[in-house]
Amino acid sequence: MKLYTIFKQSLKAIFTNKGRSFLTTLGIVIGIGSVIALISLGTGVKSSISDQISTLGTTNITIMPGAGFGGDSSNTGEAQSGHPGGGPPSFALTASTLTKADLESLSDSSKHPQIKLVTGEISASSIFKSSSGDQRYTIIGTSDSYADIQHLDADKGIFFSQQAVASSAKVIVLGSQLSSDLFGDNNPVGKSLILEGMDYEIIGVLNEADANGFTNPNSQAYIPYTAASETFKAENFNSLTVQAESESAIAAVKEDIQATLLANHNITDASLADFSVSSSADLLSTMNGITDMLTSLLAGIAAISLVVGGIGIMNIMLVSVTERTREIGLRKAVGAKMSDILGQFIMEAVLLTLSGGILGIGLGILVGKVIEPAIGFAPIVTSGAILLAVGVSSIVGLLFGVYPAAKASRLNPIDALRYE
Amino acid sequence: MSKVIELKGIKKIYKTGDEDTIALNGIDLSIEEGEFVAIMGPSGSGKSTLMHILGLLDKPSTGDYMLDGQNISKLSVSKQSAVRNQQIGFVFQQFNLLPRTTVLDNVLLPTIYGKPRNNVNAIKLIEDVGLGDRIHHKSNQLSGGQIQRVAIARALIMDPSIILADEPTGNLDTKRSKEILELFRKINKAGATVVLITHEEEIATYADRTIRLRDGQIVTKEEISA
Repeated sequence: MKLYTIFKQSLKAIFTNKGRSFLTTLGIVIGIGSVIALISLGTGVKSSISDQISTLGTTNITIMPGAGFGGDSSNTGEAQSGHPGGGPPSFALTASTLTKADLESLSDSSKHPQIKLVTGEISASSIFKSSSGDQRYTIIGTSDSYADIQHLDADKGIFFSQQAVASSAKVIVLGSQLSSDLFGDNNPVGKSLILEGMDYEIIGVLNEADANGFTNPNSQAYIPYTAASETFKAENFNSLTVQAESESAIAAVKEDIQATLLANHNITDASLADFSVSSSADLLSTMNGITDMLTSLLAGIAAISLVVGGIGIMNIMLVSVTERTREIGLRKAVGAKMSDILGQFIMEAVLLTLSGGILGIGLGILVGKVIEPAIGFAPIVTSGAILLAVGVSSIVGLLFGVYPAAKASRLNPIDALRYE
Repeated sequence: MSKVIELKGIKKIYKTGDEDTIALNGIDLSIEEGEFVAIMGPSGSGKSTLMHILGLLDKPSTGDYMLDGQNISKLSVSKQSAVRNQQIGFVFQQFNLLPRTTVLDNVLLPTIYGKPRNNVNAIKLIEDVGLGDRIHHKSNQLSGGQIQRVAIARALIMDPSIILADEPTGNLDTKRSKEILELFRKINKAGATVVLITHEEEIATYADRTIRLRDGQIVTKEEISA
């Protein structure tokens, strides 16, 4: 018996009982639908995170005080697991260990040819009087290269220069949002702001920059770190950012930073480092690891409903075999072999689950579209997810169709013909 | 004329619990090509068992069954399926057709499971049994007599060595029964070998020869009346 003939026969049997076939496949539709919806949500989250991380700059390497952050443990020491103080990053609790000397030594381009730019950040905050009342804004004390690393340009005026940093000039550059909060449409360049009792001159307003999901550069203000150090009595940096000359140089630059800072801090054992070095790629792989894990966990839970759906298919196929006992007897009498009957009933089960799977893919996509406005990012249905759904639903049909089909194929034709 | 069917010492014993039930007790029988034979007997005579063995739906306990000169009593299950498909055409008393399926598809059912030895035109067969205007009707739109006509056309589609009909008029009224029996006679005249199983004397008169069964053995008419 040709596959096409089996296919036609099975299709006919399914369409003979349209209502029942549809209800039977509903279990599979819901199962596949939820798996597809969850996988597409997971893929969507992943892509939106990776977009946000890449706005941080793919060649940027961040140095944080404290131990242990990022997915790559090779640079923070292979003895990480044996490190007694290992655990969550502790930079929030201890005083920062990243000094101006660290920044200066990394800035020496003759010693570190693969490092393009280096900057440091001292984070502070101050209250300004905005159009909607008093508000606290973030102040970043940093160096002139920060503007290049973070892709910030001045819309009006200028970003502060290396000279301003060296002379700890009391100058401030405003984010576009902050500027309009404080001054509306007026040009604030040349006006002054008071930070902790110190008078700062506004020398620039930035163009609107992309928010990266972690900070909004538009609602911050930027001052030379030397000035910030005096005004906010902060000795060390909250973080250092290094830009490697290329993505391929990242690994080498990380090792270089590691070695330089260990030497600066007089630490010989890399596992005892009081800082951690991580690239955007490390952050990305950590985030991807988390979203992948959550996605597969949720999809796995949804897949349980596929087992339930499969049992429904098996149940209805058993009923169908009993109902069609005489048909099976007749088919055997006119020459159907056991394998013909087996093939016919397995094909029916697979067609049921497969059509359920295809409807489920549609349902999953629909669910994604419906919730998209509420979650704020687009779920992404990959061809891999669709292939997985088609494959899994066929396998469910095969697995749960075998037993009823074997039962049908083993019927004795005499008994089957006599069956009432 | 050559022998289509030859049975030698066919016995069928059913084991039910500790007791053995002998359904057929040494049947010797031969049927020539082109014959119209009726197998008659009351219920319990073993005629259904004989019909199942002739139709390869059941295996004899002992004895040999030659069909077209080939010993088929020892064939494997799947070989038996092929013989049923190619060499035997069935007409049953009831449940003869696939439900909700057209006349044409019912007639073509055996061709799904094997290639006919000689190509027979299904449409012509359906016209021959008098259903030319119902080719695309569904089986549940047909009367009892029409259903049996479709079954006869289906039995002929593979050009089999033998047509086995098990009480084909059991569910029909006298008029329809007569029409069906006439149809059997017609296909017999056209060359088909027909074996008809019945318990009615009147139906058996349509056949060239009547074989009588009682208690699992072939008997003569005189033995029965004795």
